[in-house]
Amino acid sequence: MQVLLVEDDSETRDFIARGLREAGHQVTVCSTGQAGLIEATGRDFDAIVLDRMLPGIDGLALLRMLRAGGRHAPVLMLTALGSIADRVEGLESGADDYLVKPFAFSELAARLQALTRRPAVRVETHRLVVGDLVVDELRRSVERAGQRIVLQPREFSLLAELMRNPGRIMTRTMLLERVWDFDFDPKTNIVETHLSRLRAKLNDGFEDDPIETVRGAGYRMRIAD
Amino acid sequence: MRRIWQSTTGVVAVIGILLALATLAIGATVHELAHEALEEQLDHRIGAETRSLLAEAIRGGTPAVAELIARREAAAAASGLAYLLVDASGQPLAGSLDAAMPAQPGYVEHLRHDRGQREAQALTSRLPDGSRLLVAADRAAIDDTDRAIRQVTAYAFGSLLLLGIAAAWAVGAITRARLHGIDRTALAIIGGDLSQRMPVDGSGSEFDRVSITLNRMLDRIASLLDNLREVSGNVAHDLRTPLTRLTNRLEVARTASEPGLHIDAALAQSRELLDTFAALLRISEVESQAVRRHFALLSLSRLVSEVVEAYRPDFAASGHRLLMAVAPEISVNGDRHLLQQLVANLLDNALRHTPAGTTVRVALEVRGGEAALAIIDDGPGVLPDVLPRLFQRFSTGDSSRSSGGHGLGLALVAAIAVAHHGAVTAQSSAGLSVSVSMPIRSDGDQDR
Repeated sequence: MQVLLVEDDSETRDFIARGLREAGHQVTVCSTGQAGLIEATGRDFDAIVLDRMLPGIDGLALLRMLRAGGRHAPVLMLTALGSIADRVEGLESGADDYLVKPFAFSELAARLQALTRRPAVRVETHRLVVGDLVVDELRRSVERAGQRIVLQPREFSLLAELMRNPGRIMTRTMLLERVWDFDFDPKTNIVETHLSRLRAKLNDGFEDDPIETVRGAGYRMRIAD
Repeated sequence: MRRIWQSTTGVVAVIGILLALATLAIGATVHELAHEALEEQLDHRIGAETRSLLAEAIRGGTPAVAELIARREAAAAASGLAYLLVDASGQPLAGSLDAAMPAQPGYVEHLRHDRGQREAQALTSRLPDGSRLLVAADRAAIDDTDRAIRQVTAYAFGSLLLLGIAAAWAVGAITRARLHGIDRTALAIIGGDLSQRMPVDGSGSEFDRVSITLNRMLDRIASLLDNLREVSGNVAHDLRTPLTRLTNRLEVARTASEPGLHIDAALAQSRELLDTFAALLRISEVESQAVRRHFALLSLSRLVSEVVEAYRPDFAASGHRLLMAVAPEISVNGDRHLLQQLVANLLDNALRHTPAGTTVRVALEVRGGEAALAIIDDGPGVLPDVLPRLFQRFSTGDSSRSSGGHGLGLALVAAIAVAHHGAVTAQSSAGLSVSVSMPIRSDGDQDR
């Protein structure tokens, strides 16, 4: 995957670039908005990691110019701590996702992956199928191996979110944002407790667990190899 | 350019000049009225005298008039009237008035007499035998009065003008002196000495009142600054401990046989520190009230229910009872994520600081025109001395901090409530009860 990284802080830049290269991506790094804009308009990238605050052309301006120029590469915007307004502005300017510094690398990797690979092809628009699990988003029904499973609304949303991204790691904060619409991290185990209930219902009478816990990163829907 | 007429001196000077000009106008009017009245009075007197002499002429002819004139002149010069009687050929018959007989009968305003040196007001009449009678009154009285009025007016005008200028100077000087005191204090405060206060002399003057208000403002700023200083002190203090632990961990990791374990622990510690920073920054951001820009109408009832439902499994897992009584369709103008965090922090707090078996009740209702959210537990509560500081940064109910949390959750709750034009209060009798109130909004409300 071709990734463009625009970040002015050298330590953060090296940290992200090293992680992305270790994960097997090709990384082009820029330390200024100008350089980033030249690179980004020069060729197509699979994803762009863009810092919000940059010397010269800042992240928001760069993003607007890029979008105005017809470049639609998914953009993951990075911002400093404590900027509720930044988040809104960033998403309004055309960022596809937003990550607040500091972050664990696994969080960035998971979000980048979620951005770049479009969801798996669906059988029907409202039916999600992964392995022996079938979720009907319209009827809000769940079946495992043809067996009907009754879920609470949040458990259903949680499963649907994982099913929409099969094989991809969904981090705790991604799930909090997408399932609960929380943009903060509660100190309690909301995600964990809901997941364990969900698992208990899904796995009742089955040997294998369709949801995999990726230690230190998040959860993932298993897909057949 | 300085507009001098807008300064205090200028305003008072203008008022002084206007007053002086008004005095001048009044003087001129009085002069005119008095002049007219005196002239009329003289006319009246000479008219009456002429009538009585004419009556004498009808009774006894011209010689009788001449005799009467002679008698009058001999008797009383005090009457102030002078006479001249000439026959048809112009020969004087009686009277001592030294003036030329006017050719035509009637009133003359300014008749020269006394060898042309004085002026008189006079009435000329023709007697039946063709002789002419002139009765005159000297105008000296009128002229004297006129002069006196002119003089008084001039004095009044002059002194008012001087008074106005003096007042302008004095008021300006006093104002400048008083303002200079305020100015000097303000400059000292700009210079960094916030202990300075505006001079107050206890006179109750408008300057004093302004000074008192300014001083109250300064007291408020000083107390806010003190608060800020205390908070930054607390921040420094509260961050030193985990930073020390972090440093120690890393020191140990350098020489440990299995550094990975220690590095993991250090990492966890540094994440905790970053969480604390994030929480602090979030509080500052909410307190700055820039977040109000993104407020929108939302259903607080639904929001509270959703957050409570999200926490239900956690409460069940830790052996707490969670009861909810949410009145439907309560809407507020606010930020969805902040309000979610407010409710979540209160639930976190209840869950974390109460033992298993505790019942936590969440109630949302309309009380006194406001949305009232209450989170009430029957746990151990907090000590009375902790209660007032509960919503300040880094004030955890239990001083040991053993139950985790960075002591910022409730501070953020308070900041969010205030950003929503609301308030938060806490009571601790049996268990802790935290109440948040904020104005409700309906769809019809206009944006403020």
